[in-house]
Amino acid sequence: MSDPKPAELDIAPARPSPWRNLSFVWLVPILALAVSLGVAWKSYSDRGTLIEITFLNASGVTPGETTLRYRDVVIGRVEDVGFTADLSRVVVSARVDNQVVPFLDAGTDFWVVRPEVGPRGISGLSTVLTGVYIEGAWDEDIGVAARRFTGSEGPPLVQPGREGKRITLRATDGKLLTQGAPVFFRGIEVGRLETPRLTVSGDSILVDAFIATPHDRRLTTATRFWDTSGFSVSIGPGGLNLDVDSLASLVVGGVEFDDVYEGGEPVSAGYVFDIYADEAEARQSLFLRSSAEAVTVAVPFGSSISGLNPGAPVRLGGLRVGEVSALAAQVTDTPVGPEIGLVANLALEPSLLGLPAGAGEAETLDFLEEAVANGLRARLATANLFSAALVVDLVTLPDAAPATLRREPDALPVLPSVPSDLPNFTATAEGFLERINALPVEELMGRAITLMASVEALARAESTVAVPGAAVALLEETRALVNDEAIRALPRDIRDAVADLRGVVAELRAGGAVQSLTDALRRANEAAANFALASEDVPALVEDLRAVAAKANSLQAEELVAAATRVLDSADALIGTEAARALPPALTAALDEVRVTVAGLREGGAVENANATMESARAAAEAAAEAATALPALTERMEKLVAQAEGLVAAYGDRSNFNAETLAALREVRSAARAISELARTIERNPNSLLIGR
Amino acid sequence: MQADDLENARRTREVLTARRAGLVGCRTCGRVSPAAATGCPRCGAPLASRDAGSLQRVWAWLAAGVIVYIPANIYPMLRTSSFGRTSENTIVGGVVDLVQYGSYAVALIVFLASVVIPIGKFLAIAYLALSVKSAAVIRGHGRQRLYEVVEFIGRWSMIDVFVVAILSALVQFKFVATVNPGIAAVSFALSVAFTMVSAQSFDPRMIWDAYEADDT
Repeated sequence: MSDPKPAELDIAPARPSPWRNLSFVWLVPILALAVSLGVAWKSYSDRGTLIEITFLNASGVTPGETTLRYRDVVIGRVEDVGFTADLSRVVVSARVDNQVVPFLDAGTDFWVVRPEVGPRGISGLSTVLTGVYIEGAWDEDIGVAARRFTGSEGPPLVQPGREGKRITLRATDGKLLTQGAPVFFRGIEVGRLETPRLTVSGDSILVDAFIATPHDRRLTTATRFWDTSGFSVSIGPGGLNLDVDSLASLVVGGVEFDDVYEGGEPVSAGYVFDIYADEAEARQSLFLRSSAEAVTVAVPFGSSISGLNPGAPVRLGGLRVGEVSALAAQVTDTPVGPEIGLVANLALEPSLLGLPAGAGEAETLDFLEEAVANGLRARLATANLFSAALVVDLVTLPDAAPATLRREPDALPVLPSVPSDLPNFTATAEGFLERINALPVEELMGRAITLMASVEALARAESTVAVPGAAVALLEETRALVNDEAIRALPRDIRDAVADLRGVVAELRAGGAVQSLTDALRRANEAAANFALASEDVPALVEDLRAVAAKANSLQAEELVAAATRVLDSADALIGTEAARALPPALTAALDEVRVTVAGLREGGAVENANATMESARAAAEAAAEAATALPALTERMEKLVAQAEGLVAAYGDRSNFNAETLAALREVRSAARAISELARTIERNPNSLLIGR
Repeated sequence: MQADDLENARRTREVLTARRAGLVGCRTCGRVSPAAATGCPRCGAPLASRDAGSLQRVWAWLAAGVIVYIPANIYPMLRTSSFGRTSENTIVGGVVDLVQYGSYAVALIVFLASVVIPIGKFLAIAYLALSVKSAAVIRGHGRQRLYEVVEFIGRWSMIDVFVVAILSALVQFKFVATVNPGIAAVSFALSVAFTMVSAQSFDPRMIWDAYEADDT
């Protein structure tokens, strides 16, 4: 029925290999994985090595922010800040770059850099903004690796790995030697001092100093160190000497060194140098360099050697040839019994005595023996004018008492001494001081003080003070003069005089003179009539009258009045001058009084009154004319005559004592005013002339 | 409940896929063509009823995204320098900082965009890819919707990267303040990109293959 069919094959499709159909997309996650792993590995390998640094305090150190630096390059970062088990110190854990880890060995130094202001300037200023950081310093040698370090409180004085030489300095006084104080060589800072420390015995101070390359080559056996701390002021024969080194050394101290002679041997690290108090002392220590060769001689001194100290120089002709090495009292037996003598041991330097190098003690003593035979003696002398210190001078006195250099086998050779002229010198010095004392300094001062007092007294004297007052008084007197009754009375007197004159004229007019004149004229007329015929002399009389009139006419009354007016004008002008105006108020007041007076003069004064008088006279004349109408011509003449008479009267009045006095008074007022004006001008120009009197 | 399940089950069983209908849809322009067609007659895109390498690519990109997501969370995202002080923030560290500063809203956004969404995407894509082959808890329509959500939301994870990019570009005041992107920024951007590609690689048509198989 059904065709045979082949058995159905159980055909399973070939199971596709999962790898065959693998998409290239799978590369993406593989790549991502690779990159991520790479980044992870890199950051793991770069994260550095954890180290621990202990500090006393960790102010400003922040985990995750504070960096570790070496030569100002960040080499790591603080990860954690904790404490040691006993809380005594702070432990700062930090990761540092693997590059620097091999160098972190026992010699590594870490310190926290903070802003710092010190005598040597400001440091760490950048940390104000960025926060503190930890700086490390180590040398270039790879040592035994360390992971725990003890941090210092400050930067090391000498950066590890810096080339130079470390030496030790010895001083007796550490007051001015501070840690970090600079070491100078000819003023250039070449090193630093480290922490001073006492020696075990406690009698001196030791301080290590580091002298950086290349200056450490300057360190030889000829090198001397001296203290340059602060400043020094010395007064000596050379004058005032002020020595100030750098400001830093003024504050923190410092030492300086220099080679005091050529040819010193180089020294090795750790060599101990002494620190001298100052440069001069350091240089004077020169001769000590070969003190081993010094020849010691003893010198007995008969007198006190107070002021002579061990170390005092021994001079030959002013040149230092040695020093006093010891002082002692020595008992010597003499024929009269034991006697205490004072002996100074002198260490003499043969080479400084001029002996050839290598001269031994024997040669030196031979030389000395010969010199003593020639008169070489030891003598005490003062070191200098200003000090009581003594030195030993070796002097050659050809006329000295003969002596020899006593050379004994078991004792020091004895060099003879001579008494010093010290007392004389002291006397001289005393005399000098006495002379200074005798200088009349105090007297001079007294005189100067007296002079000052005199000047002061003069300035304060009443007369000096009164000068301005006197000027005022002068003005007051002037005013009083003007106010004087007599001056005041002038116008009134003048007025009275004029009134008198007027009275005279009035009397003339009233019937006295005019009537009489009229009568006289009439009589003269009659007489003339009588004599007209009989006498031909009338014309002559007329001529005479005319001459009289002419003479009266020629009188200088007008001139006089004009002169008076000029005087008054002058006085007025004077009062109106600027100088007068510039006078002090007192003077102005005085002049005002003068003006009032003058005005009074003018008001009731002579001129108007004279005019009035003339008017009166004219009236009288007119009356006379009326009375003598018969003699018009004559009347005319008479009128003239009267006018002239009036001028005459005026002239007479002018010349009267009154007017003369008035004029004189005015003249005097004028000159007084001028004098005051000059005075005022002078004072105005030179106000101090009141004081100095010129 | 059971009735619903049954109804749903019945309904899904009634699904008629394009492949069973002898058709193939263009994923580019959406035109439906006969199954034999190898190219879209309208837009010329190659046609395939099922993308054979889809799952491989999904898994590959997903793996890459997960791998780079790890350094993105370990390494710092931002390196902020202000007055010489440098601080580094990872993503989670930044969120913690924001919470400490009290910016809860911003912290929530960053946390959602940088942590929740990427991890949710990893899980969602992985689930979708797995559910193609094996029994699915969520039925077809649910997974389709999940796929659409994942594809839509993926780009929003880039918020963090944009924030870093903008900050780095704007805050460059030399010494005063400087913001630099860290390694994590690159990693995170790559992670987001990889997961987006991964989601793109998924062929949602495969969701329905299981139901097709049921009926045959």
